[in-house]
Amino acid sequence: MKISISRQHIYLMSISIFLFLFVLIFSFSMLIPAGKEYRIKRVELKKVNKEFRKYANFHDDTVATLQELRSENRHIITAFDKEFSAYRFEKQHKNYFSKLSISKLEFIEYEDEKAFSVYEVKTSSQISSPSSFYNFLDALNKSDWIISIDFPIDFVRDGELIKSSFTMKVYANTKETNSSVSTSEAK
Amino acid sequence: MKYSYIKPRAKSVFTQEIQLILSFFTMTLVMLFLTYAFLLYKNYAFASDKKETLQERMALEISLEEMKEKIVFIEKQKMLSERVYTQNSVLKDSIANLFDLVPTRITLSKAQLLENGLILYGITPNKDVYNFMLQAPLRSIFHRTYSSFYPAQNGWLRFVSTNYLDKTEEESIDEN
Repeated sequence: MKISISRQHIYLMSISIFLFLFVLIFSFSMLIPAGKEYRIKRVELKKVNKEFRKYANFHDDTVATLQELRSENRHIITAFDKEFSAYRFEKQHKNYFSKLSISKLEFIEYEDEKAFSVYEVKTSSQISSPSSFYNFLDALNKSDWIISIDFPIDFVRDGELIKSSFTMKVYANTKETNSSVSTSEAK
Repeated sequence: MKYSYIKPRAKSVFTQEIQLILSFFTMTLVMLFLTYAFLLYKNYAFASDKKETLQERMALEISLEEMKEKIVFIEKQKMLSERVYTQNSVLKDSIANLFDLVPTRITLSKAQLLENGLILYGITPNKDVYNFMLQAPLRSIFHRTYSSFYPAQNGWLRFVSTNYLDKTEEESIDEN
């Protein structure tokens, strides 16, 4: 039995098979892998975004904490940042003394914390009564610097007055920490 | 001699069936290519979004680290300043207590406050007044108290009272 297929039909068949194979090969070799990659990347991006949102929230919370801490401790931060001025100190605290003299600043090693530097100032003064000294100690806690009174403290009667001599320790940021705070304040 | 009454049609390869098949496959291919292009674009967009987000996260991490350092530093400043303020307040109370401790009959000429002690120089009418009114309270505060007397010109006694606090075990442990 002879099967007769026209040339037309052969063209039709071969084009159809060729295109069908092309579609199949294209789909399996390119389209489906691209689709899989799309699905994986979408999931990955979602995950990354979720983590980023968590981080951003934590970042915002930390910013709020830092700002709160800064506003609560503004006086302390500026006090640590400020350079000690004997002239200014005398001007601010001379009311508590009949006479007040302050020696030159001397840098001393501060073992406890390397972020801070400590300067020693020797002070000699005359007070009319111990209450002046109490008031001075109260005022010291509100002054422009972080200052502690160090031992020994000497009180010697001098007629109606009391001569007092003591050492003050002025705490400040080191140059490195000082500059970092200043730049952050500027920001 | 003519065999047919109609004119022969020009034969083309693109018959109606082939045109149909071609248009069908063209549509299919266009859809496939468009889908593929969409997927490629989306994959690129996802990758660049991810990269951007990771970069932003990195910047946040750096910023967080900086902020944490600043927070720790401010906490340190706060702690140190509170320690200094407390020290000053305690000192004020100690000096006030010291001056309150001295009875009116005894006059101090010099007081020396040390880190772990107190040296008082003064004048007292007699030893009993000193012992009962000044030494007794000093003994209750300090661990070691030494007194020495020498006569003054007006018949009173000049005294030097040296008082020391010993380091307690707790303080030694704290320091270690």
